[in-house]
Order: sequence, then structure tokens, then C-alpha cells
Amino acid sequence: MLAQKIQKFMSLVFTFGLVMLMTQQVSAQAVPKASPTVTPQQGGTLVMVVQPEPPTLASFLSTAAPVGQVATKVYEGLLEYDFKLTPQPGLAKSWKVSPDGKMITFKLQENVTFHDGKPFTSADVKFTVLDVLKKSHPRGMNTFRALEAIDTPDQYTAVFKMSEPAPYMLMALSGYESPMLPKHIFETGDVTKHPNADLPIGTGPFKFVEWQKGQFMRFDKNPSYWKKGRPYLDRIVTRFIADGSTRAAVLETQEAHIAGFNAVLPVDVRRLEKLNHIGMTTSGYEMQSPIVELDFNTRTKPFDDVKVRQAVAYAIDRKFVVDNIWFGFGRPATGPINSNFKANGLYTADVKNYNVTNGIEMANKLLDEAGYKRGAEGVRFEITHDITPYGEEWRRFGEYVAQQLGKIGIKVTLRQEDVPAWLRRVYTNYDYQLTNNWIQTLADPVIGVHRLYHSGSIRQGTVFVNGTRWSTPETDNLMNQAAVETNPKNRAKIYHDLQKRIVDASPIVFVHELEFVTVHNKKVQNFLVSPLGLYSTFDQAWLQK
Amino acid sequence: MVVSRLQYIRRRLLLAVPIIFFIIALNFLLIQIAPGDAADVLAGEAGSATPEYMDQLRRKFGLDQPIYVQLLTYVSNVATFDLGFSFRHNKPVSELILSRLGPTLLLMVPVLLISVSMGILLGAIAARYLNRWQDKTISTVVVLTYATPVFWAGLMLIVLFSVKLGWFPTSGMEKIAAFHTGLARIIDIAHHMVLPVITLTLFYIALYTRLMRASVIEQNTMDYVTTARSKGLGEKRVLWGHILRNACLPVLTMAGIQAGALLGGAVVVETVFSWPGLGLLAYESLFARDLNLLLGIFFISACLVVLVNLAVDLLYASLDPRIELK
Repeated sequence: MLAQKIQKFMSLVFTFGLVMLMTQQVSAQAVPKASPTVTPQQGGTLVMVVQPEPPTLASFLSTAAPVGQVATKVYEGLLEYDFKLTPQPGLAKSWKVSPDGKMITFKLQENVTFHDGKPFTSADVKFTVLDVLKKSHPRGMNTFRALEAIDTPDQYTAVFKMSEPAPYMLMALSGYESPMLPKHIFETGDVTKHPNADLPIGTGPFKFVEWQKGQFMRFDKNPSYWKKGRPYLDRIVTRFIADGSTRAAVLETQEAHIAGFNAVLPVDVRRLEKLNHIGMTTSGYEMQSPIVELDFNTRTKPFDDVKVRQAVAYAIDRKFVVDNIWFGFGRPATGPINSNFKANGLYTADVKNYNVTNGIEMANKLLDEAGYKRGAEGVRFEITHDITPYGEEWRRFGEYVAQQLGKIGIKVTLRQEDVPAWLRRVYTNYDYQLTNNWIQTLADPVIGVHRLYHSGSIRQGTVFVNGTRWSTPETDNLMNQAAVETNPKNRAKIYHDLQKRIVDASPIVFVHELEFVTVHNKKVQNFLVSPLGLYSTFDQAWLQK
Repeated sequence: MVVSRLQYIRRRLLLAVPIIFFIIALNFLLIQIAPGDAADVLAGEAGSATPEYMDQLRRKFGLDQPIYVQLLTYVSNVATFDLGFSFRHNKPVSELILSRLGPTLLLMVPVLLISVSMGILLGAIAARYLNRWQDKTISTVVVLTYATPVFWAGLMLIVLFSVKLGWFPTSGMEKIAAFHTGLARIIDIAHHMVLPVITLTLFYIALYTRLMRASVIEQNTMDYVTTARSKGLGEKRVLWGHILRNACLPVLTMAGIQAGALLGGAVVVETVFSWPGLGLLAYESLFARDLNLLLGIFFISACLVVLVNLAVDLLYASLDPRIELK
């Protein structure tokens, strides 16, 4: 009985943690595109499995992945994005950035209404960004820090005025990251405790109808959606199923049509993709770009020494990890910025390479140089390795790391706790030596990467920021410059320099770029129309009868 | 001193009050041992947070107060039947519990009824044909169902009856995309209930069968049974007319204990079949450090256990006239 309960604990805990990483590489995958000759069929109910159940529908307060999958059907953003990571019109039909980069003028789509019939205007944009996102959104406080005011000269124009250029801000205006809220609903009452948090009213192609906790959410077609003729679906139902094997079963029996963010476990994916009616894709996560890492506590022995950190980086065979622990879903990582950013030039592979064939040899040499000689039984020193409490793969990853470190003379004891205990240990008490982790690096390095290496992000008690407490004045400087540099070529140069320095100092071992998988019934068409994947509105999706 | 039934009930209920409050306080303090709080969890799920955001959350949840203040506030609220607010779900705890209570009972009651009645039947048969093939078959099968892990049994049933044969749905309480109402909905829910109920029943039936079997064997040695046989009554009459009522008592005690356990103990089945019950809710709320919700569920469980124990004691007294209420 206890053993089964522990097993269930693992899978449930995995579901809790699963909110944090996504990424895909566009160039390597065939991107499913709408075939222009096939006419979409109207009607049908799409059943999507979302794991775990979202805690809320208030995507302006929570950026958790399950929230993103459901709330984005109801709320929209000013911009959408294409697979080259360039902004496209959304609720903003056009925009112009001033030459000094401190002012952006957005022209909004006209005659857009919220689900309650009231019109969407620039007043809603101003309210949402300044009163809600900048104050209460977990990333908005940082994303909009340069924003000082929004002028609304007429109901379809919003002018963003910044204190300094903010090139990253344009990447953060999707319906997932910055949903546009109705001012007339949310201006009364406390937005953090609002009754409409779970009764969302937006401009999106689907209206929220009901939420039966523990079971499903239902969204019906919005008949007065501003994109004429859309959406094609009548209804979207999201189901919440706690057990991994059961999730695979519902796709197999066609009770559900689509499940993303590894709701279907990798081991089941390999089994399901052999079925005729099942398709799978790793595309649609390019704006999340997660990286699996090993985090060091750089303020205590032994990992305060850069040579020891580099030794650990050499000891890991990244390809082995991807192939054997993640069933082939992933790519070896080289540094703090995901290779998805090759698309806009910010990524460079020209950094110190730890993924070499003689890695163990190099590691041994470095540890000898650092003064940690082998003692009795060949052990140089002992550490405790914390394991991310998200599921099976992480435990196996921990076991693999223990094995590799054993080869270079480090004796490892593994420790695993549940999510809140682990978060407390790592980000509040700093009571760890080595932990595995995974972090979304998001749509722009300023939003997702700076928080891990900047000295200003060393904030005790805040999660998923600079928990290693490493920083240097040079890298701080580079990040500050990159945040306001508007010339793309210069920006790329700054980031290339940053990547070299961080990889040299190795405060984190970059293991691999995680690939998420969306398993879908082949009847579902056009659900993947942007790098936002399941975070897009599904206005173009349709079901083949 | 023998008391009237009403007086007995009143005294037991009065005694229950301090017991329940003690249980709540104990649970509250035990949960505090777990490191991390709800703000950590919510921020962790958000995948990112700022210090201001986390402070905001802690203030909202009242977590910045000292522990004894939190406990006092909670206990005084419970005394007025205000079970608090779940910040994670953005709903009052009582509303959440009530919405999940229905599905839990839908699972609990049939499982209890079927496993107890089948258990009594099978146990009696096994004891009647002691050591013959009926007994050997029943005993072996029962040990097998008890030893099989519940989640594995559930998953195998899904694989066979849902995926391969397609006779039953894989999971959930009703067919979501169909939106049935009225009789169609009842049939739909019943259809969804079959596999989870079977899974749980298989496990609990073993308990009652073994207990009943042992109980009947014991009763067989009693004087009144010898008397009945010597009066010339047939075995069937002796068993069903005389032994059964007496042999039932241990089974009922066990059933009473299980009723309390079933409320939260069906977590595994609820997980596998995605059944929206209280067990799963309690389990998730522990990992979410949703204290109000967790304590609310403990409170309901404690009340239920107290009530069921009272009911079993009363039932005892009515079944066996030799037992008096003191």
C-alpha cells in the first residue's frame, strides 16, 4: 500500500512541477502548416488533456503552464508571433517604434468586443498593463519596469512611453504573457482576489462556460469573435487526469484529441506514436525554451571553486542523458541561451565546450589542480545532490549524475523532497550543494535569462531567480547594456560575450535543451500555427470529421 | 448504569466535540513541520516570481502571522462552521468539499455495500464448506485480490475493458463532450462508476470474506449451534438462521472503521480513474500546502469517523440484545 502511494506521489509531484520548461527547435522540425487547399470544417468539440489542473484562470496572476493552456483561449494579446520569432499583429493591427526606442505607438483592431459585448479600447490596454501586469504579474513587474506611462489619444491608439529603450518588451505581448483584460470588470475590487479571476471575460475566440474542479473546463465558441468566420470549433473541453497511464489511455481510445507539455509521459509517447490515429510533434514550444541544468551553491565549499564546477560540467555526457533518460527528446545544451535563439542571432555555440569525449579525464585533472586529492577508496569529497521533485526522469538523472561524479572521485548522496520543501531549501535557505533544475528561458533573454545570473536577482525567498548567488560586475554590466540596446547586431555581440563568460565560470552546468511533446489525434488540424503552440487561441484549429 | 439510547447518543456527541478540536489542533501543528508554504508552491508553479509578489501572497494567506495566532483564528472559525478560504482554488473550503463529497460518496457507498454483503456471503460459504474446494477457491481468489496493488488492478481493468474491449470509459465521472442531463446523465455516471467500484471492491471484499469466514468458524463451536443441530435443524437453517447474525458483528466493526478510511483512502483509485473525490483533493492540497483545505478535509473526516463509530455501536446494541449501552 505504501509503495503504491509513493509511486502515486511521484507522478502527482511530477505534475506539479511540470509547469516550467518548454522548447523546441524550429529549423530541425517540419512545422505543420495549414494546407491552403483543404477547407476547414466547422463544428466539433476538441478535448484537450491538461496536466496538472490549473490552479486558476487568472493568467495575469500566474504564468504556470496549465494556466497558459486554458486562459489563452479566452484572453488575447496585442501581438502574435511567427516561427522566426518576429511579432505579428494581434489585437494591435500595427505598431511603430520611435527612433530612440523609448516610445511605441500601437494601433488597435477596431470593433473588437469582449464576451459581455462591451468594446475593447485603448483604455483597456492602459489599465491592463499599468494597473495589473506591471503591479501583480510575476514577470510583468520586470518586463514593464521601463514603462512609465501609456497615452490614449483615441480609443484605438495606445502610446507606450518608456524611460529607456526596452527591445525585449515587444516579445512579451502575447496572449499568454500579457493578456488584455476588460477594464470595466477588473477596475472595481482587488485584482488579486477578484471574483472574475475564475470567470474570465476576454476578447478571445472562446468563451468560458464552466469549470468543474477535478474534472474539466468548458469553453464555447464566441459567436461575435472579431476575426470573421472563426473559430471553426464549436467547443473546447479541457480534461484533468491525474494518472499518467490513464492520460495515455484516453488518447488511445480517442476520448481526448490532444495533450501537450509532456502530459503523456515520454515512455508512453514512444508507444503511442506507432498507432495510426496518433501524431506527435515537438514544435510549438519555441517561446519557452527550457534548459535542464545542474545548479551549484557557489558560496560554500566545494563549489565555490570554479575548477570544481568545471570538473562537474566535464563529467556529464549530455547525449547519454537525452537518449537514455529523456527518450531522445532534447538537444545537448551549450550555455545559458537556448539554441532556439539562432533564429534571431542572439545564440552562439562559440563557448567553452564541456561536452567532450575525454570529459572524465579533464574533470579528474581539474579536481587534482583544485587541491582535492583522492583519499581512501578513491574519494575526494562527499556531497548531497538534491533532485527536482518532478518525476521519474529527474530521479534517474540524479542517479546518473551520482554515477558520473563517482567516476571522478565525488561521493554523492541523493535527496528528494516535495516541491514546496525543495523550493524552500534551494531559494530561501540556500541549504544545498548541488541540485538539478530546469528553467524556462522564455521569449527574450531579458525576461528569462537575466534573472538567473544578475546580482540584482539574488533575492532570498523568491523562486527561480539567481539561486546560485553567482555574479560578476562584468556580466552584470553586459546584461544591463543588452537590456537597452536596440541595434540587433550589437545586442547579439553583447550576448555572445555574456555567454562565453558565463560558460567559463560555470555557475550552472548546462545539460540539455528540453523538448516537450504534443501528442494529438490526426483529426486535429491547424492547432500549431505559431511558436506559442498550445498557448495560442486555437482560432484556426478544426476537427476532421 | 444502563442508559436510554437518546441519553447515550447525546453523551457521545458531547464527548466528540473536544476530541475533534484536539484532532484539528494536532493536524495543524503537524502540517507546520512540512517545510515550504503555499506562497512557495504558487510561485513555483508560476515558474517565476518577484519578492514583492511572494510577500503579497504571504500577506494574502495570512502566513506572515505567528503560528499560535493562525491556529487560534482557524479554531475559532471552525467553531462557527467557517472552514476558511482556499487561496489556491479561490473558493471557500466548504464549497470545495461539498462539491467533491458527492463523487466520493458515489464511490464509497456502493463499494461498502457490495464488499460487505459479498464478503459476508462468500465468508459464510467458505466456512460452511470448510477446507473443501469451495473454501479453497474462495480463499485463494480473495488473497489474490488483496495482494494485487490497487493502482495496478485499476490500470489493468482499464487496459482490458476500456482500451481493448471498449466496453467502459477509461476515466472521469461522466462523458464530458456529451453534456447529458436527467436520466441519460444518471446512466452515464453509472457507466463510469463500474470500473472504479470494481477495483476498490476487489480489494475490500478480501477483508470481509476472511473476517466472516473466521467468525463463522468460531461461532460453529458455540453451544447454541450444538443445541440447534441436536434439535434436528439442517445445516442451511443453522447457518443462515442462527450463526449469521452473530458472526456479522466483527464484520460490522471492520466496516465501520473502513467507512472512515474510505473517505480519504481512495486516493489511488481516484488518481487512476480521474474520479473527482475528496481523497485526491486532500492529497493535492498537501503538496500545495493549502492548509485551509487540508484542515477542512481532516475536520470532515474526523466528524464522519465519530458519527460512524457511534452508528456502529448503536447497531451492535440492536443486533445483539446482550449488549447494553452504558
